[in-house]
Amino acid sequence: MTRRLLPALLGVAVLTAIPLTVRNSFFLHVCILVLMWTVLGAAWNVLGGFAGQVSFGHAALFAVGAYTTIILYLKGGLAPWWGIPLGGLAAALVSVPIGLLCFRLRGPYFALATLAVAEIVKLVALNWESVTAGSVGYLITTLPPVRLLGVAVNWEGKPPFFVTAALLAVVALLLTGWLRSSRLGAYLVAIRENEDAAEAVGIDTVRAKVLTLALSAFLAGMGGGFYAFYFRYVDPDAVAGIGLSMEMVFIAVVGGLGTVGGPLIGAVFLTAVAELVRDRFQMGHLIFYGLFMMLVIRFMPEGIWGRVRRLTTRVRAGA
Amino acid sequence: METLAQSLVSGVLTGALYAMIGIGLTVVFGVMRIINLAHGEMVMLGMFGAFWGHTLWKLDPFVSILVWAPLMFLAGMLLYRFLLRKIMPGGELNTLLYTAGLSLLIANLALFAWTGDYRTISLSYGMTPVRPLGIAIAIPLAVAFVLAILVTVALWLFLSRTNLGRAIRATSQSAEAAVLMGIDVERVAMVTFGLGTALAAAAGVLLAPSLYLYPTVGELLIVKCFVIVVLGGLGSVPGAIAGGILLGVVESLGAVYVSSTYKDGIGFVLFLAVLLYRPSGLFGTGK
Repeated sequence: MTRRLLPALLGVAVLTAIPLTVRNSFFLHVCILVLMWTVLGAAWNVLGGFAGQVSFGHAALFAVGAYTTIILYLKGGLAPWWGIPLGGLAAALVSVPIGLLCFRLRGPYFALATLAVAEIVKLVALNWESVTAGSVGYLITTLPPVRLLGVAVNWEGKPPFFVTAALLAVVALLLTGWLRSSRLGAYLVAIRENEDAAEAVGIDTVRAKVLTLALSAFLAGMGGGFYAFYFRYVDPDAVAGIGLSMEMVFIAVVGGLGTVGGPLIGAVFLTAVAELVRDRFQMGHLIFYGLFMMLVIRFMPEGIWGRVRRLTTRVRAGA
Repeated sequence: METLAQSLVSGVLTGALYAMIGIGLTVVFGVMRIINLAHGEMVMLGMFGAFWGHTLWKLDPFVSILVWAPLMFLAGMLLYRFLLRKIMPGGELNTLLYTAGLSLLIANLALFAWTGDYRTISLSYGMTPVRPLGIAIAIPLAVAFVLAILVTVALWLFLSRTNLGRAIRATSQSAEAAVLMGIDVERVAMVTFGLGTALAAAAGVLLAPSLYLYPTVGELLIVKCFVIVVLGGLGSVPGAIAGGILLGVVESLGAVYVSSTYKDGIGFVLFLAVLLYRPSGLFGTGK
């Protein structure tokens, strides 16, 4: 137990220390992005890493979350901290019919189907103007005044967003950790390794996969809600593009598929590198995403975190 | 009536070029069971090849196909030999993700080198369309159409008449049986990947005068390409031809009769329906 507790405590300590001590807003911005991508990578990892179902359409779920949060705020006056979880729920609801449809397919065919679903969602977002404002998009100008412990929250600064993102990332990683040790998690690994065998031993594979997709969608939708809240702008290209779906895949794969800490490591590597070189590579700052992805699949298909864990267990066994 | 004829004709013309991109993807899938996500980037490289050939050396885009297609054939073979071959034992999902990485890498290198500006190639003969029977046809598109048909026929002859072509088709039907018959499957795979890459680049060269070109255009094309090959059945060359022309016609009719905003959606809905209810393709020839 101490082995699990120690890194968790350390993580919480680092997460509380950063907004209290760091004043450099660029550094905080990078941290916020890393945490947001941790949530998104974890969302993809639940489905792609544990259940082995490669989705190229998670941007659709992200978009549902982002639109739900921003529309609830702008039209219903509902503050983002209610809107973000509701965005997650909306994405989970939308994911159920998508899952029932697409899970009839396996492997690469499933991946292609999710890609098509995401493109359809993007087209709907572009054309259903009465709800989504089409290509114009939605813009949040001011966030609601809040007092926390007697101090007014300063929405122009980074720390409130950092805290929100950190909370979401902790929720995402806790959910992943719970999934790994749960019965559902064991079902998913069985499905990933051999779907026919899993069915033969009596696992309701469709139900398990649809449930997992809903969980994954909940996280992706909350990530989308946070995006809307932080960047204060939502339009179809920003929240429903293929690029976004692919970035989630990359973070999960580079970090380590089917591990709990993988998405965090993936987000640290990819997001941090991309943001740090953005100055020099104005245009192609995703070069490194592609490069890391290829290197990882070639040299450590279990991902960075997966490799580290294997090495540490080997050292421990040898000692 | 005239609108119908006009949109049918332009649909078929564009469709033939779509088909050419689709054939490249489907041949590679047939032999290697790889869905190459970087296929769209190969088209993009062909387009930029045509653009730079035209801007720097005043080379007519349709002539420059003679330079770019062989070059990309070589590049494709090298790519397979030194990168993809080592990944393939890891399973088809790994390969899929690897080509996703490759696609992002190529697109972003292109962004870095050429920026995200939209470019066009303006040809002296591209301004005024010809009007046989009152139907306006842009000359560059018509030339591209004819060349696409020539390339496709040549490919068909290669696949059906030569030993290497037969080896490719045999491997596509059953790699194991092909090995037992003494076919060097490794070599076949390398040539096939080169061929797929060259076809994509050639289609890019042909499309360049008729489309806007920018480094991330591959994203748009690869999605269309999936629609095409799934409609026709993954792995089937005639299926890809039919799928390409079908998509071209559906898009251009959809733009006129449904709405230009939803025309891309028609393709995706069709795609999902085929994936779900006829996974072997509309014509039942794929596998």
